[in-house]
Amino acid sequence: MSDDGVTIEFLSRDKLSSHALEDKLELVIEKVKDDAVLVLEEGWTPEEKRTLITNAMEQVDDDFPGIEFMGLDSGQTRLDKARNLVYDKLFDEKARRGLTIVGNSRVMEKIKEERDAVSFLAKLESEKE
Amino acid sequence: MSGVKTMIGRLKKLISDLFSSTEQDDISIGLYGPPNAGKSTLANQISKDLTGEEMSDVSEVPHETRAVEKKEQVTLEAEDGRTIDMNLLDMPGISTNVDFQDFTEHGLEEDESKDRAKEATKGIVEAIKYLDDVDACLVIFDSTEDPYTQVNVTIIGNLEAKDIPILILANKTDLEGADPSRVRDAFPQHPVLEVSAKEGENIDKLYEEIIERLS
Repeated sequence: MSDDGVTIEFLSRDKLSSHALEDKLELVIEKVKDDAVLVLEEGWTPEEKRTLITNAMEQVDDDFPGIEFMGLDSGQTRLDKARNLVYDKLFDEKARRGLTIVGNSRVMEKIKEERDAVSFLAKLESEKE
Repeated sequence: MSGVKTMIGRLKKLISDLFSSTEQDDISIGLYGPPNAGKSTLANQISKDLTGEEMSDVSEVPHETRAVEKKEQVTLEAEDGRTIDMNLLDMPGISTNVDFQDFTEHGLEEDESKDRAKEATKGIVEAIKYLDDVDACLVIFDSTEDPYTQVNVTIIGNLEAKDIPILILANKTDLEGADPSRVRDAFPQHPVLEVSAKEGENIDKLYEEIIERLS
């Protein structure tokens, strides 16, 4: 985080697709621990989100309380599921439509999440407890 | 002589295998949800009803349950005689962060808060690992809170991916501000039962649903 603001970093799908999941998680958590908020141009599967939570929990200490994250992936409709299945079977890759936003839980507050809209308040360094 | 012993050994193993393949294993039912949704209150309600004993500590302080609490061989019997033998698993509440400062705000000393935070993070990892091992799940939400969170989406999504039967419970219906319809709207693909674990409301209906879906 800078002196008077929050760094919000956008990572493109192309950049992310070049990383294996474990590398991607390492990159994400490293930046989040440094108080950046990341906007990833891809949706994550429930299994990947589970791994994200597990990895974040394993790194929690007195200085790093963990993460907040939000998803604009939905993936809940039948069309989404059918699309994912086609991508999985034909192209051997996840469809990954959507966005994932990840940040340090001491930076992100007042999270509001719906399937198609998300918002949060980024707390400045001077406001952190 | 050794040939006879070997043959007897094989015979014993064969009988043992036959038994284990025909014996009905107990069904492991996991109680999942975010912290303070009322999992342990519900676990105690079920355990007390069916065994006469409580199984978990309950507290207003988040992450009171920091390790998986088990109550084995809990038998649920329906009026029509159908029974289910269950292993109840009260899971630590899953969250994406555990800040020791939250515990100090509840009056705990700093050292105690830090220890509690460490235990809570281990508990969350343990609960997540158990997602692979349960046969069915009661997913419990606080009806006064917004249910559409990534934690809840992640729990439900992982259970769906493994085809594990889910019954969602919209808990705390006794509280002012409870709105179970939000739970239904957030997860329309699953059945939702409104309950108050604290007041014991609709728990009989829960037992009927468990028998109906799992027996």
